Amino acid sequence: MNSQESETDQELLKAKQTGFEPKIVGFLCNWCSYAGADKAGLAQLSYPPNVRVVKIMCTGRMDPQFVLHAFDKGADGVIILGCHPGDCHYKEQNYRAVQRHRILLRILREFGISEERCLFDFVSAAEGEKYARVIGNIIEKIRALGPLNRAKLASKDQVLE
Amino acid sequence: MDNKPVKISVFFCRCGGNISDKVDAAFIEQELKRLPDTIHFKVVDFLCGEEEKNMMEKELAEVRPDRVVVVACSPRDHEETFRRVLVKAGINPYLMQMVNIREHVSWVTVDKDRAVRKAAIYIKTAIRRVKLHKPLEKKTIDIIPEVLVIGAGVAGIKAALSLAQAGRKVTVVEKGPVIGGLPVRYEDVFPDMECGPCMLEPMMGEFLHGDHAHNIELLLLSEVSEVKGFFGNFQVKIRKNARFIDPHVCIGCGECVNPCPVSVPNDYNFGRDQRKAIYFPFAGGLPNAPVIDWNSCQRSKGTDCSICKTACPMPEAVNYEETPSVIEKNFGAVILAIGASLYDVSRFPNLGYGTVPDVVNSLEFERLLASNGPTQGKLEMSNGEIPKHVSIIHCVGSLDKNHAEYCSGICCQCAFKYNSLIAHKAPGTKVDHFLREVAIAGKSDYALYQQAHQRGETRFFRYNAIDDLKVIREGGSSFILSQTDCGKAEKIRTDMVVLCPALIPSPDTEKLSAVFEIPRDKFGFFEELHPRVDSGKTKIRGIFMAGTCQSPMDIQKTMNQGVASSGYILSELVEGRKIEVEPINAQVNSDKCSGCKCCILVCPYKAISFDEANEVAEINPVLCQGCGTCVPNCPSGSIIGNHFTNEEILEEIEGMLS
Repeated sequence: MNSQESETDQELLKAKQTGFEPKIVGFLCNWCSYAGADKAGLAQLSYPPNVRVVKIMCTGRMDPQFVLHAFDKGADGVIILGCHPGDCHYKEQNYRAVQRHRILLRILREFGISEERCLFDFVSAAEGEKYARVIGNIIEKIRALGPLNRAKLASKDQVLE
Repeated sequence: MDNKPVKISVFFCRCGGNISDKVDAAFIEQELKRLPDTIHFKVVDFLCGEEEKNMMEKELAEVRPDRVVVVACSPRDHEETFRRVLVKAGINPYLMQMVNIREHVSWVTVDKDRAVRKAAIYIKTAIRRVKLHKPLEKKTIDIIPEVLVIGAGVAGIKAALSLAQAGRKVTVVEKGPVIGGLPVRYEDVFPDMECGPCMLEPMMGEFLHGDHAHNIELLLLSEVSEVKGFFGNFQVKIRKNARFIDPHVCIGCGECVNPCPVSVPNDYNFGRDQRKAIYFPFAGGLPNAPVIDWNSCQRSKGTDCSICKTACPMPEAVNYEETPSVIEKNFGAVILAIGASLYDVSRFPNLGYGTVPDVVNSLEFERLLASNGPTQGKLEMSNGEIPKHVSIIHCVGSLDKNHAEYCSGICCQCAFKYNSLIAHKAPGTKVDHFLREVAIAGKSDYALYQQAHQRGETRFFRYNAIDDLKVIREGGSSFILSQTDCGKAEKIRTDMVVLCPALIPSPDTEKLSAVFEIPRDKFGFFEELHPRVDSGKTKIRGIFMAGTCQSPMDIQKTMNQGVASSGYILSELVEGRKIEVEPINAQVNSDKCSGCKCCILVCPYKAISFDEANEVAEINPVLCQGCGTCVPNCPSGSIIGNHFTNEEILEEIEGMLS
């Protein structure tokens, strides 16, 4: 992580005082979870706007560097949503995504980022209600964890060691 | 193009207030004015309307923007709509980014102020991303319209006929010496007891000699041994074994059969009768020509017997010199219609198959009931007597997690059909059904079940697990011991036991899945592209399937699938039309590729191959479906996921966090 861009403790304190609104990046697969998010919209379910969605064709496309980049550029949390096991539009690529996510969590730990900040879940094209719930839950969870303190994270060189 | 300021057209759809009630267009316009780019901002009420699309096209043609952003609904709804508008305006359709403000912002965000701020972030991010977009071209590839059908059972025949009727050239490869699959060997078929051969012969006649038969090439005793290529152009090697009889010359008189000095058990009738080394598998089998079983023929043992040739009235029909040949042909698409097999009932020693006399499986029983079978259709035991008690055991292997976990769906119907046939052929014979569940869904399928219920001679016994049944021999008679729920064993007299086994994948399913590199499901059947939406497609583009190689099914569904698979081909592989290749796919930068082959392992579509000469991976754009899994799997970062490149996604992430 680039230390120049890290927030200071003072900034964190300020965030706590003014009411912390977490920034979360959501990576959604096109076929199930993005469609599930659309369903939540069609049903006009409401959820807070803290999760910003990046669409990918499949969670198999998830590159761990996307998550690291998100944390580097100011995300307090990341959520990856894919098809339910067995439902993947591309056969079984969501399983690969699950495997990569597990490895990613270990890398995040090395940096000092809690596993709870990077969630993987399944949302089908029909589960608008689940989408709204999952989004609501992660926002609450990250809100409780507070902002990611970038000043305290290990540097890339330290992790590579 | 990099991040330099460019000219961008932004179309903001109010969606009749669905968007603009929450997200103020004027605020967005002000926000975008602060960007270094030249923004043409246009607010429209319903951008997907015909008039509005025409307006958008005109505007694009006038402004000639470098990039386009559409702020509207979900790209799953209208991305293709607006891409077409771009094409009409002469702009590459991939230079557009859609922002889903309706489903993802205005409909789900309560607070107006927060909604408009989220919308602004989304739109500004789209602008950052679209600036990195590259124009992509849909490539087109020439196709070969010819189709290969594997299997000449009912599914294969139906598929080939449908294609031939549409004028398409079809090659049908059949492993056996006759066509018609399993149903042609049945005397009667459920649910209405129609005679199997009577039902199928008109269709088979049309297939062999009808108005469109000139479009069908039938290769019997043949198997596909090698396949290369992809949808539109498969290069196929077919091994054709010798029949030693030319079916085009042979008149099917059968003069050759009787004089043959060799007799062996007839496997078409499970060894219940004998056949000669030159033989018709069964009377009425089509094409109407015998076949020489070379392993039994005396000539294979070095003698110079030529009795059949001498007996034959047609001089060129018998040819001892025929050798196996390899045929190489190219096809645009393939239909797999290889049928299924029955579960091996000898895996249940308690059911007495092979140890207790007159225990048969359903296929053997069908042959016993068939008038062209070993008993000429008389219901007889192996000692020639008529059975007084027949027991039919359902679900042998089906619905059993130690064997075939699924319900085969057709066995109950078969069992009740047997009940009806037994009543017909041996009135007074008692029939006992041992069943676990009854599967008779459908508008006509209950009739045989009801009929069985109404017959005085029928009894039903419900069993829990197949192990609760035992077929035993005692004092020259057979009995079924059935364990009841209360732990008591009932002893039921029987003369004949019919086992209705599960339908399982044919052994050729495994073989062909290796040849075509198509996946199988957990039971071993060919796996569907989608089990309901596209059950006639395999996971590999251009390879379709029909009938019981996909799943157990009845004749009706098999016929339908035959037509369905040809329908796919007639609409996707059109003569004179090229195949369009979706440009959102993966591509290898061969200068950077280290040749580690990691990508090949993760591709579910076998789209990646290894170029041995240059030691680099190669992605076939026709087979690639664009999931992008290979991109992060490449250790040297040499695979580009078009339209979802690392740069584009990283820029999007950064934009979302700004």
